[in-house]
Amino acid sequence: MSAPPVVVIQETSKIYQQGEINVIALDRVSLTIRGGEFLSLMGPSGSGKSTLLHIVAGVDRPTSGECCVRGIDLKRLNESELADWRNQNVGFVFQAFNLIPVLTAYENVELPLLLTRLRGKARRTQVNTALELVGLADRRNHLPRQLSGGQEQRVAIARALVTDPPLMVADEPTGNLDSQSAHDVLTILQALSRSAGKTVILVTHDPKAAAFGTRTVHLEKGQLLN
Amino acid sequence: MTIASFITKNALRNKRRALLCVLSVAVSLFLLVTLQVALREVTLPPEDVGAALRVVVRNKISISSPLPARQRAVIERIPGVEAVSPFSFFGGKYRNEESMSFAQFAMDPKLLRKIFGEAKMPENQYAAFEADQTACILGKVTADKYRLKVGDRVPLTSTLYPCSIELKIAGIYEGTIDDRNLLFHHKYLDEAGGSPGWVAMWWVKVRSVEEMPRVTEAINRAFASSSAEVRAETERAFQLSFVAMWGNIKIMVHSICTVVVFTLVLVTASTMSMAIRERFRELAVLKALGYRRRELFAFILAESFGLAALGAIIGIGTAWTLFTHASIAKLTQGIFLTFEVTPRIIGQAALVAASLGIIASLAPSIAVARMSVVEGLKTLD
Repeated sequence: MSAPPVVVIQETSKIYQQGEINVIALDRVSLTIRGGEFLSLMGPSGSGKSTLLHIVAGVDRPTSGECCVRGIDLKRLNESELADWRNQNVGFVFQAFNLIPVLTAYENVELPLLLTRLRGKARRTQVNTALELVGLADRRNHLPRQLSGGQEQRVAIARALVTDPPLMVADEPTGNLDSQSAHDVLTILQALSRSAGKTVILVTHDPKAAAFGTRTVHLEKGQLLN
Repeated sequence: MTIASFITKNALRNKRRALLCVLSVAVSLFLLVTLQVALREVTLPPEDVGAALRVVVRNKISISSPLPARQRAVIERIPGVEAVSPFSFFGGKYRNEESMSFAQFAMDPKLLRKIFGEAKMPENQYAAFEADQTACILGKVTADKYRLKVGDRVPLTSTLYPCSIELKIAGIYEGTIDDRNLLFHHKYLDEAGGSPGWVAMWWVKVRSVEEMPRVTEAINRAFASSSAEVRAETERAFQLSFVAMWGNIKIMVHSICTVVVFTLVLVTASTMSMAIRERFRELAVLKALGYRRRELFAFILAESFGLAALGAIIGIGTAWTLFTHASIAKLTQGIFLTFEVTPRIIGQAALVAASLGIIASLAPSIAVARMSVVEGLKTLD
């Protein structure tokens, strides 16, 4: 029996206005992603894959159509509710790692937890567990500039999963990494999907990276190809 | 990590810029406090008990018009009047100085203690002053400035009377609101100045505060419709009329203060805008992680407020320490005496710093609030 759907996108369009020209980033896309699925989203530059990822993650809003994540229609949430929802439900991994340079690895991972009610020992346990999961417990006091690119991205993954969100979104997470580090990062994401039951959406250009997923969908000119 | 340590780390990430911003706030607030303290000192009317019992009587037409000496007997007969002394400004230049560096007044030495009781001086010096018509007493600030002591001679050339006089220092006093002046015998001025029978002002000591309004009114009435009508008023009112003449100076000082504050706002706002613009991408990441607009606004406000507060502590603290513990009279060669940093001035400067912190954070906060996560993530580092 297949897992229930976590993400349901129906007839979703996103149109950007650039001066007097309307640029269609997404054109009536419909997609269902099930719990624990590792979906690879592929397509050429400008095909709308990052836009789709942003809409699913609640950092952008569609021009039309619906996007429900775990039964919640994101369109109905205001800015503040959407921020809370992101904190509790989504883990972000970016291509450029986006760690805060003045904070140590431990503090970067701790950052999303400052918004929760978790305090003291419970918070420390959660941060240490996340760092151990990505194999960087011994680097907890290092600043981002003291880490390699692969290690930085693993810290970013730890930050994404420290609140134990059901959905992880990764926007070209291996784009700035060498092949070994890319492999390590993708292996972690795959393990999170397989062992922890996280739903993972991976945006990538690289077919090798996409192969880590359980399903691959292609976007072109804002439309799903299959 | 706490929210406070996160804010502190962000504020100090560019240490040189943070230091320069703090120093600009500190220097500006130091200047602001200094100007306010100086303005307060030059416009401060006397508040001591003696001043509350003194009435100053001058010519109604102008302070430069003299009064006839015969008025003294009339004033002395008014009930409630305890003592009346002539009080004339000599306007003398000391030795070869180009301008007058301290004020000299001719008065009745016998009434010195009765009218200006707050002047502290040894008994033998009082006696010596009263006994010798060419004697004078000098405020301690001026005596220290010129290293003058009892027995020294003070040559003065008047800018108002056609004469030069030489006075012998009989005593050095302190404890008054202005320990800079020189006092000498009015009789000596009458003889040397060549205009006996005329005085510049009368200083009157009244028996009690309750009698002040009645005595003032009686003196004014006594010379109404005479050839030398007078204007009698309390010492405080008299000093305030001088303060009114400082009007332009006040406007000038307030203008400088306004320019200082305005420049400070521009510098701090520009620093904060730069600091936040450099972190747009990071702030977008924080938004993506679930931080709301109000939390990001609180971070920016706290950072801006913290820098302004630190600058305020250094600037106001330095001013307070310097003006409280250093000898300002010596440093300014007797131009300023008390130079007191009052709680009111500290409060005003702190308020300026707090407003500064808030205003400087507004523009970057609005920019961050308007920024979408997607736009922010596209920002280059």
